[in-house]
Amino acid sequence: MKRLTSLLAGAAMFASLGISSALAEVTVLGWPGGPEEAALRKAADTYNATASDADKVKLIFFNRDGFFDKLAADLAAGSKEFDINLLATYAIGRYAPFMDPIELPASAKEAFSDKVLATMQFDGKQYGVPTDLSLHFMYFRKDLTDQLMSDAAWKAKYAEISQKHMGKAMEPKDPDSWTWDDWMATALFFTKEINPDSPTRYGSVLQMKNLLFNMMVWHSTARSMGGDWRDASGKVTVDSPAFRSALELYKKLYDAGASPKDSTTYEYAEANAAFGSGQAASMLQWNAAFGDLDNKEKSPGSAGKIGTVAPPAGTAGRVTHIHGLGLGINKNATNKEGAKKFMDWFATPAAMEIYANAGGSPALNEGLVAKVSGNRPDLVKVGQFAGNYGFVMNGGTSAKALQIYELQAKEFTAYWSGAKSLDDALAATSSGMAELLK
Amino acid sequence: MQHKTRKDGRILISPLVLFLAALLGFPLLVDLIYSLSDVGFENITAPKLSGFGNYAKAISDPEFWQAMWFSLRFGLIAAVLEVTLGLALAIYLSPLLNKRPWLIAFLMLPMMVAPALVGLMYRLILHEFVGPVPYYLLEWFNDFPAFLNHANAFKTLVTIEVLQWTPFALLILYTAYASIPQDILEAASLDGAQGWRRFLAIELPMIAPALGVTFFIRFIDSFRVFDNIYTLVGSGAGGATTSMSIYIYQAFFKVGNIGLAVAASMLLLLASFLVLLLINKLTQRETVA
Repeated sequence: MKRLTSLLAGAAMFASLGISSALAEVTVLGWPGGPEEAALRKAADTYNATASDADKVKLIFFNRDGFFDKLAADLAAGSKEFDINLLATYAIGRYAPFMDPIELPASAKEAFSDKVLATMQFDGKQYGVPTDLSLHFMYFRKDLTDQLMSDAAWKAKYAEISQKHMGKAMEPKDPDSWTWDDWMATALFFTKEINPDSPTRYGSVLQMKNLLFNMMVWHSTARSMGGDWRDASGKVTVDSPAFRSALELYKKLYDAGASPKDSTTYEYAEANAAFGSGQAASMLQWNAAFGDLDNKEKSPGSAGKIGTVAPPAGTAGRVTHIHGLGLGINKNATNKEGAKKFMDWFATPAAMEIYANAGGSPALNEGLVAKVSGNRPDLVKVGQFAGNYGFVMNGGTSAKALQIYELQAKEFTAYWSGAKSLDDALAATSSGMAELLK
Repeated sequence: MQHKTRKDGRILISPLVLFLAALLGFPLLVDLIYSLSDVGFENITAPKLSGFGNYAKAISDPEFWQAMWFSLRFGLIAAVLEVTLGLALAIYLSPLLNKRPWLIAFLMLPMMVAPALVGLMYRLILHEFVGPVPYYLLEWFNDFPAFLNHANAFKTLVTIEVLQWTPFALLILYTAYASIPQDILEAASLDGAQGWRRFLAIELPMIAPALGVTFFIRFIDSFRVFDNIYTLVGSGAGGATTSMSIYIYQAFFKVGNIGLAVAASMLLLLASFLVLLLINKLTQRETVA
């Protein structure tokens, strides 16, 4: 009996030790799979090497499929399973009621620009430390645009095509000074249906599937023409000349055959396959695609021939949609102190340098990006473009942002496919958005 | 004695009743509450009762009816084609399958593939830059149709569904066809009934119940289609390929309107129940007649 009592007492002691140790850990729910997970693991290992036992970080991951819905359900249910969780710009308003605002250390400003920090803000409060940033590049076939600018016969044909389809004879320009008209003329020129001598089948590849992420890509066009979701007073402003022009631009290119026939079912992967095959001359696409498209084994049709610039200029200048992933603190966290310590460290230039070198894609300030550019040359443009051209739509971080993206995707793809008129699509979007943003 | 038998019957059936009450009754009750509540992910643990608003919203939502129409058309056309093709193949292949029944296993292979995988498979097969179908059409005819654009998506989706599920119809209809007594067929032949006449007057009436069952199963399955459409084209440009299942999924997960999604599911459940009641009544009337 005495032996049994001792055993039970020992077991209880071990159990209590285990519990207290588990309670003291900082549990971080990260973005699973891919370079983000690898980078977060490396950063956590580095932090844990010097952190006290009570502050050590433990990482957990869900499956990516339906991640944000599962996270929303967990947060709403008051889960205490994690202290720090992933955040995304377009879903931040949905999670904000279940998270604690944070105060970043002064050193965060050395790592990130204000525009990048704003991707983790809602209602004027900071909810997270930005980690990975996504934005858009205009990808183009450098070999083809170089020839276009130097070949007299091509220039003459370019002028002829632009005159016929756009009503004005144009001259080819360097892609870094393209307007949307220049891009359109180039896309038409490199379309075989319009120019039988074109070396590519299509001048561009548009992502027109009924999918929220495709709206983000298209927004770079709409915003550069002065479009926004709402004005300063909160009134929905999508039924505007800017949205009309940007929607019509896609429609004109698609109807002219400058994008593949099935473009209304294309998203990231399909567009990359088209461009990577060497059969599309240009593409507005996420920065993350560059690695695969420039890889000789994965994309022999495009590798080594790609140029990337910021999206073309509209009447309101040159812009790119940006959104970020980041980490913030769960309102029901059991170890808020430890979580705050980790976040303070994670927002420092030193931590971000480790994160970037391990495969993450943070948009870093110039001084810091110079330190990692040898290992990560792609991050140079990400930082520059985010700082110079990045924007978030007014309402793009609201609680209903995801639903608004879904609504726009449905209505705008209806217009592009010919199922709805432009007026009907914009009217339905306006009234739906007004309802969602009430 | 009869009283005791009834009592025993009640005792014996009670575990099944309890099992159904726990596994079906409880979720149904929760769904009913959700369908009468204003509920999203944010207040999933504390839904606010709001009356029949979700039902009214679903019924007055044009997208609900668009999805219903899509599912009805898809289910009917796919089921008719599958049953017709399955019957033709069952009769045509019958002599071969009688001799080599193991061939059935190979013919069944398409329906062993998960529908979601079928969607992904065709996403590759029909892709202009990596798929073999557009590649060879371009090689041979210098052109190819846009398989998945607004005009053709429905036809392509029905074709894919038919290709995957015709083997199911073939299996049931071949079994029914093979079970027609030989002596009846021989008697019909002796009376001079051959070819189409024998098929229409003797064989078809004898396999009619199997045709009905096959059609009904395939219609239900195609009506609630989700996986292959969702992985291939999603909800389609302007929601053109939104089936009822996709409508419910989107209302739940994409829009976060759990009350509306559950109300739509309940309406669908009610409609299915009414159809089942109707079929049950018709069957009973035929039995009595």
